[in-house]
Amino acid sequence: METFVIGLSIASILFIVALGLAIVYGTMKVINLAHGEMVMIGAYVTVLASKHLGLSIYSCLPLAFLVAALFGLAIEVLVVRPLYGRLLDTLLATWGIALILQQLIRIHFGFALFGIQIDGLGSDLQNVPVPAELQQTLHVLGTNIPVYRTFVFGVAVVLGLVSWWLIYKTRFGSQLRAVSAARNITAACGVNDKRINALAFAYGSGLAGIAGVLVSGFKTVSPDMGAPYVIDAFLVVVAGGVGHLLGTVLSAGILGEVQSFVATWSNDVYGRTVLFAVVILILLFKPQGLFVSRNR
Amino acid sequence: MLKLNHLNAFYGTSHIIHDLDLEIRKGEIFCLLGRNGVGKTTLLRSLVGITVNTTGRIEFEGRDISTLPTHARARLGLGYVPQGREIVPGLTVLENILLGCNAREDGRKTVPQLVWDTFPMLKEHLHRRGTNLSGGQQQQLAIARALATDPSVLLLDEPTEGIQPNVVEDIEKSITTLNRVHGLTIVLIEQKIRFARSAAHRFAILEKGRVRVSGASNELSNDLIHRHMGL
Repeated sequence: METFVIGLSIASILFIVALGLAIVYGTMKVINLAHGEMVMIGAYVTVLASKHLGLSIYSCLPLAFLVAALFGLAIEVLVVRPLYGRLLDTLLATWGIALILQQLIRIHFGFALFGIQIDGLGSDLQNVPVPAELQQTLHVLGTNIPVYRTFVFGVAVVLGLVSWWLIYKTRFGSQLRAVSAARNITAACGVNDKRINALAFAYGSGLAGIAGVLVSGFKTVSPDMGAPYVIDAFLVVVAGGVGHLLGTVLSAGILGEVQSFVATWSNDVYGRTVLFAVVILILLFKPQGLFVSRNR
Repeated sequence: MLKLNHLNAFYGTSHIIHDLDLEIRKGEIFCLLGRNGVGKTTLLRSLVGITVNTTGRIEFEGRDISTLPTHARARLGLGYVPQGREIVPGLTVLENILLGCNAREDGRKTVPQLVWDTFPMLKEHLHRRGTNLSGGQQQQLAIARALATDPSVLLLDEPTEGIQPNVVEDIEKSITTLNRVHGLTIVLIEQKIRFARSAAHRFAILEKGRVRVSGASNELSNDLIHRHMGL
């Protein structure tokens, strides 16, 4: 049971990160390799805000969303936009941004050059204080359920619902879906497609930022923590079927649980090995992913 | 109303439209004719600014719009109905029409009455997916979507191509009504000479990206058609 809840929380993180990646990829067919760094930025926002401003992890959620979204917006406007339609170039460019962001944290945003050190930055590992009520464990039916993991799951559910509402029930959402499906004609209907791109990129990055806050509660924070998340999130998106919200939910669920259960029975390395094997199997038998978007 | 000066259009490095001059007057139906591949569709795409690079001047109501992005041109009043209709997949009929309302500066969220008056049939299918409609219905939806942008010029790319005959008649009727009754200026790419003759005020025949012949539609003789459009 405990393993299941831990798996659920891994799945939740995967889902949030993958959702952001999927929105960006779905809208502008750009794979943002700096997406993992948005997770990292979210985590560092938590570290800095709790060290210097005394903020709790709750108030860090919207703050990290905002900061990561601003980073995303800047990346879209300054780097991705001039490279529209050049997939390989955007891959390289966003990877470069990922490296730059990691190094910026290591050198304290450049202040280290002048001998100024900011507490919470640098190459060291950081920890985030978790509020006491989230550190407890619940005893349900004779099993221990860590409250923090349930909290992570709750946040993911809320974000999933908010994103669903945003995509399917708002004016912005219908513009977003129209841009993803038929960019030219949507622009000819008066929709500023570049603005939609920028907003989608910012929203996707913001989601990753929130994931970063959640991760910081049970993992140490370091400059290179982001990279594995892009890979995992990408696997989730591909295995679930590109452009399918439910597919992303399901595939994040499956992959998270697989990793959690295998890791409990043996160790983390096997957990990841089996995870990759499962993805390969899914793609062998369902090359389009678990769900095929009917719109194509 | 629309004035093209030395317009050149390119897909990548291939040069499609060559130094083209054209004027479309307010309130007329202007018909673009020509064989396949002479640049008719490219010309319309240049007007709305989709996927082509252009040089030269595109003047719309006295203003050069050639450097404006597509959405800004739509907001100025260019309504575009592309070849093959391009109904947005995944969106309902209503959502497709409302998409057009993004180009409106006024009320914004309401579908103009003109849309319902012109295509009352669409009212019965509002919540179906646009792509589930029949070809003829999709074409009407595409025109409805362009009407929802509140255009002063409607650009129609072969609006009756591949559509069952009785619906063709409906669509042709609504095109003439939009022009004669509601005063919309219309640029029409058309292969059906009969309709071009009856509806259009003036025409131009394109060949290899240039205007070969142009004039009033009563000058559109069989001889011209055989010479420039026959196989």
